[in-house]
Amino acid sequence: MKRLNGYDVDRVGYLMVLPYIVFFLLFNAYPIIFSFILVFHKWNIISPMKFLGLENFRFLLQDPLFWKSIRNTLVFLVIHIPLQLIVALVIANILNQKIAARGFFRASFFLPVVISGVVITILWQQFYSYETGLFNTILMKIGLDKIPWLISTKLAMPSIAVMATWKNVGLYIVLFLAGLQSIPSSLYEAADVDGATGVQKFFHITIPMLNPTIIMVLIISTLGGFSLFIEPYVMTGGGPINSTLSCVLYIYKQAFYFNHMGYAATLGFAVAFIIMIVVIIQRKLFETEVYE
Amino acid sequence: MSRFPIFCLVIFFLNISLQAKSEVIKITYWPSSNPQEIELAANIVDKWNKIHPDIQVVMQPLPSGQSSEEVLLTAVAAKTTPDVCSNIWPGIVEEFAEANAIIALNKFNDFYDIVNPRIPEDVLMNFASNDGHYYQMPWKGNPIMMEYNVRLFREAGIVEPPSTYKKFMEAADKLTRDTDGDGLVDQWAGVINVNPVWWHRFFDFYAMYIAASGGRTLFKEGEVDFDNEYAVGVFRFLQKGFKKGYFPKGMLQGNQFLLENIAIQFAGPWDIGFLKIHAPPDFEYDYAPLPVPEGTEEPILTYSDPKNIVIFSTTKHPEEAWEFVKFLISKENDLKLLEFTSQIPFRKDLDTDPVYEEYFKENPMVLKFAKQIPYTRGSDNITQLKEVFDVIAQSFEYSVIYGMQEPKIAIEEAAETCRRILRR
Amino acid sequence: MRKALFYILLSLIAITFIYPFIWMTSASLRPEREISELSPISRNFSFRSYITVFNRIPIGRAFLNSLFVTCSITISVLFLSSMIGYALSRLHFRGRELIFMVILFTMMIPFQITMIPLYVLMVKLRWIDSYQALIVPYMINAFGILLFRQYFKAFPQSIIDAARMDGCSDFGILYKIIWPNSIPALVTVGILIFMQTWNEVLWPLIVIRKTSIMTMPQMVALYAVGGQAESQIGPQLASAMMLALPIVIVYTIFQRHFIASMAHTGIKG
Repeated sequence: MKRLNGYDVDRVGYLMVLPYIVFFLLFNAYPIIFSFILVFHKWNIISPMKFLGLENFRFLLQDPLFWKSIRNTLVFLVIHIPLQLIVALVIANILNQKIAARGFFRASFFLPVVISGVVITILWQQFYSYETGLFNTILMKIGLDKIPWLISTKLAMPSIAVMATWKNVGLYIVLFLAGLQSIPSSLYEAADVDGATGVQKFFHITIPMLNPTIIMVLIISTLGGFSLFIEPYVMTGGGPINSTLSCVLYIYKQAFYFNHMGYAATLGFAVAFIIMIVVIIQRKLFETEVYE
Repeated sequence: MSRFPIFCLVIFFLNISLQAKSEVIKITYWPSSNPQEIELAANIVDKWNKIHPDIQVVMQPLPSGQSSEEVLLTAVAAKTTPDVCSNIWPGIVEEFAEANAIIALNKFNDFYDIVNPRIPEDVLMNFASNDGHYYQMPWKGNPIMMEYNVRLFREAGIVEPPSTYKKFMEAADKLTRDTDGDGLVDQWAGVINVNPVWWHRFFDFYAMYIAASGGRTLFKEGEVDFDNEYAVGVFRFLQKGFKKGYFPKGMLQGNQFLLENIAIQFAGPWDIGFLKIHAPPDFEYDYAPLPVPEGTEEPILTYSDPKNIVIFSTTKHPEEAWEFVKFLISKENDLKLLEFTSQIPFRKDLDTDPVYEEYFKENPMVLKFAKQIPYTRGSDNITQLKEVFDVIAQSFEYSVIYGMQEPKIAIEEAAETCRRILRR
Repeated sequence: MRKALFYILLSLIAITFIYPFIWMTSASLRPEREISELSPISRNFSFRSYITVFNRIPIGRAFLNSLFVTCSITISVLFLSSMIGYALSRLHFRGRELIFMVILFTMMIPFQITMIPLYVLMVKLRWIDSYQALIVPYMINAFGILLFRQYFKAFPQSIIDAARMDGCSDFGILYKIIWPNSIPALVTVGILIFMQTWNEVLWPLIVIRKTSIMTMPQMVALYAVGGQAESQIGPQLASAMMLALPIVIVYTIFQRHFIASMAHTGIKG
């Protein structure tokens, strides 16, 4: 413990982290504990809490809408993740070459990332509109039928997944670019000596070396998928027939439309638990050791 | 020493002025954020304050924003509620009553003396809570009726507004056309809001259910009561409308009724003011009761879309608040309600009392609603009402709009889900 | 030859990302009936949609609200998170590593769990419909602390020692030495927080009901959801344009820093 000028270094440290302690207790610790208590009660904010024991859990397990929201999220992820992994990897690889105006291209892909989800949703809502939307207008002009993008139960969530990919892929391109640039060129040179083709180099050097980045992209998109809210809220209200009801939207409805605070808390924990499981599975499946 | 008497005098006068101040009672009143209702409220409050210098009412409109129910709920939780609020949707009254947030109005001695002459009995009973008390004072409604374009009817050869489902279908067939020959239908018979939001269903399914069943609501004595032929009938009727393309499936832009692309819509009197301003002079429209299954007895009922008045239990002056509530529903102020907002006070004598004669002479359209208001129902006093309607709205979307489920099964399943919700 | 192919491909893709915004701009500036047309430029230039928006919703007020809230939070986070990051990286005291673990832990808690109790807390504190509800729960950012801590760890100890010998207090060191020499970190965190806060819409939807306190994304989202816009696409797009414009302007200027900041999110300590 250094003491200079008779200064007690310890105390200043405590002083500096004090705001965090207060903040943590108020906005982290308290909410988690209270949320946990709520799980075992029925509460609508204005009446006293009613103890329910495990009733909320029982209802949750049989709640078709909860499982629907999980299923919807998985549909979203199954489309969104592979799509953006492939697109981002390909584009990042192209950008990694010595290309002029790389900065410009990178900036253009990244543009949708910084813009509010609300803007993107409004824009794509118009694109996807059945009667007057841009996509269907183009389709009709070339003689094809209109597609019920947001009106069909089978297409609504995939449509949202495509929109989300368009919005976020710029971020992943940037991340992959950073990852690509950290791969030592010596590896490629060694492969060249062995006469490896471009494709072989890609699958045997690039992908394994990018593994940490890929895992990170997986986790970020998974978290994003389970946090999907504003897109279904604005575009579809959770429909048609609850096919775009996301986990957070369902929690929001239960808490703020129906005032089921206890049940909403239960849903929150359930979703968090499922996120944890999905992430663990992903790491087990895809994480490989990176050899230096 | 000579300072002392002055000191006493100062204290004495201070005391007096404080006393005087504390003798003026302040009542806070929250009307809706609707601009017409704010105008009305300002007018009424002003008059009251002149008559009652010792009981001053302070008006604060509900913050305009998402939903007044959420605002009120938060206020109850934080105990920042006003004394009186006149924008209460009956659906939340039960919740508030259970939380002891509002007071039972029938505990006032003159409650029944005031209420019985004003409101028909069956309408009043609809607003009673499960414990038999009245926690709300029925104030005004917007009965849902069938609004139709007279010119389009005439052009289609329809002589009188369709009163039954069968007649409606026949008329709808003539009204749904492709007017500009591009192969796409651009004139529809009617319109149903396809957004799956729960409260839209009040204006189509629920209103028609009340009409078809002769005044039944969804619950009876706290139990699910709507799995019957009337609910199925409404679902079937509207499902057919969608299947045959009489109602547009997608959301359209702008006010289609005004643009004369829609011949019929189901609405309350709120359109009257709007059309007065925006409709071209040759725009002809009229109102008729909702269509019902053949053989339904008259009079045809409908949903009243009510907004009522409550007194919150945080009030320090319940008696004075009650005096103000009585003032709000007086004859003169009910007339003002009509004049400022064209919404209908819950009165059974609107068409007979000379006080209103002048107004209805100038506003014959509103008179139709005034005649309908004694024949209306509100909603049930169930705390989970929003959830129930959410279930119905989803069922509606699945079966009626997308035609993917037999109405009978849809109603059965919805009823079962609602039973489960009530048991929680 | 291969290079040329790449350029064409990249350009096509770049167009896919930029054209929608160009289309949105022009669609918001046309009369209503022409909106579904494909042509990027219309002959009938019209501000109608924008005027409608201004008449219907107080979007200017919402913009100011967003500006106020975002700036307050950004300044607060820069200030507090850097201070805490400094304490965790350069000062020695008992419990330092424990606090760091706690911070890491809180980053793993999904919002789904905390949003309900946080709302209840706001109700009990009577902060609903107030700026405090929007600002205070975001005044410290765990990720910001992490980034600062990492950055400060690499700070040369010699400079700090020299300042200490001159009699500088630790707070003084923070302001006079660390901050001026940590511009990259400040900019990185600043941009991240600014962007995140400006676009935040779920929390305002939960705690703000009064139109006069609503933030811009919230107001535009509510406008587009239904009812108010009466399904009129022109005004919806116009309001979206106005929401996007501030960030696009900031982005165009600080573009490189934006991208660098986001790339940093990938680098775990």
